[in-house]
Amino acid sequence: MISCAEMKVPLDRSIQQSAEDTARAIRGLLAARKILSINLISSPGSGKTTLVEKMIESFGETGRIAVVEGDIETDIDAQRIRKHGVQVCQINTRSSCHIQPAQLVRALEGMDLDAVDVLIVENVGNLVCPAEVPLGEDVRVVLLSVTEGDEKPLKYPLVFKTSDILIITKTDLLPYVAFDTEAVRRAARTVNPGIEIFEVSATRGDGLEPLLSKIEALRAEKARGKGRA
Amino acid sequence: MHELGIAGEILSVILTEAARHEAKKVTEVTVRVGVLRGIVTENLRFLFGNLAGDTIASGAPLVVEEEPVVIECGKCGESETAAMAWECPSCKCPDIAVRGGDSLSIVSVELDV
Ligand SMILES: Nc1nc2c(ncn2[C@@H]2O[C@H](COP(=O)(O)OP(=O)(O)OP(=O)(O)O)[C@@H](O)[C@H]2O)c(=O)[nH]1
Ligand SMILES: [Mg+2]
Ligand SMILES: [Zn+2]
Repeated sequence: MISCAEMKVPLDRSIQQSAEDTARAIRGLLAARKILSINLISSPGSGKTTLVEKMIESFGETGRIAVVEGDIETDIDAQRIRKHGVQVCQINTRSSCHIQPAQLVRALEGMDLDAVDVLIVENVGNLVCPAEVPLGEDVRVVLLSVTEGDEKPLKYPLVFKTSDILIITKTDLLPYVAFDTEAVRRAARTVNPGIEIFEVSATRGDGLEPLLSKIEALRAEKARGKGRA
Repeated sequence: MHELGIAGEILSVILTEAARHEAKKVTEVTVRVGVLRGIVTENLRFLFGNLAGDTIASGAPLVVEEEPVVIECGKCGESETAAMAWECPSCKCPDIAVRGGDSLSIVSVELDV
């Protein structure tokens, strides 16, 4: 008797199945409360936290914004956000260069989600890994500051392919750097024809208006039919 | 080093599958990776080999199938597969759409049962 046989098992299963399952659970949890969730991705220092601060200032109390900050270490960003009087939770990812869905679940468990209309998740500064990992977001936003160079969509196509919105930031610095905005727009649209593109200077306020209107429209769409006390 | 997390995930999936079939050994693993994933195949194989060390998948080759992108030209209408391109390989115009290239999946596992 031969007791040993070879068998080939077809799997055709995503390598990230468990992360995708957790992300789906997050999506369900937030959808049940009609919370708009936004995943912000960029290189370190592209201006994510600064932009979040501007959004909070602009929407004010009625915005019902909550923020989850992802950093490898420190709660510096969370402290910046806390000053604006909104709910904030800092995740320290330690060895991980991106927020993992399970970490986001734990952060959400500590929040009062009934008081939230918009959840902003600021991912760890990194253009590679956060693009790989779904967090159950409604809107994925990639930021690219003009000082980083206009070839970034060519080098990191996945994040531009998987994002719904591209924000070109720090446009006040355009006079000082060689940055071809049109080339960035073209490259982003090559991998993602549907991507919406905004140009802002968070510090000077240029271009914030159309972006904030877009977020407000998304929030209103999501909250439609939401019962208010 | 996002290859490390990916290698760990592959190993965990195939060991679960092997246990389900009460396999004695894993003899080959095939994965499909899109070119846009930015994965260094050599690193992935090395890390997988290392992690598999003391398991029944020790020594099992990791076969990596690369998924190219499809470049569709809006001008000349040509459609070709490529590692990546920012202009049409035929007419050189930049008016192209790039599709696919983002797979990240385990295709199959071969077991000794
Ligand atoms: N000139 C200019 N500087 C900006 C702008 N937005 C942000 N900055 C500056 O850029 C630096 C980084 O900004 P942050 O908002 O901390 O960037 P971040 O993306 O949150 O950084 P990490 O969380 O560390 O990845 C700070 O010194 C900001 O003041 C802008 O629109 N124009
Ligand atoms: Mg920040
Ligand atoms: Zn062509």
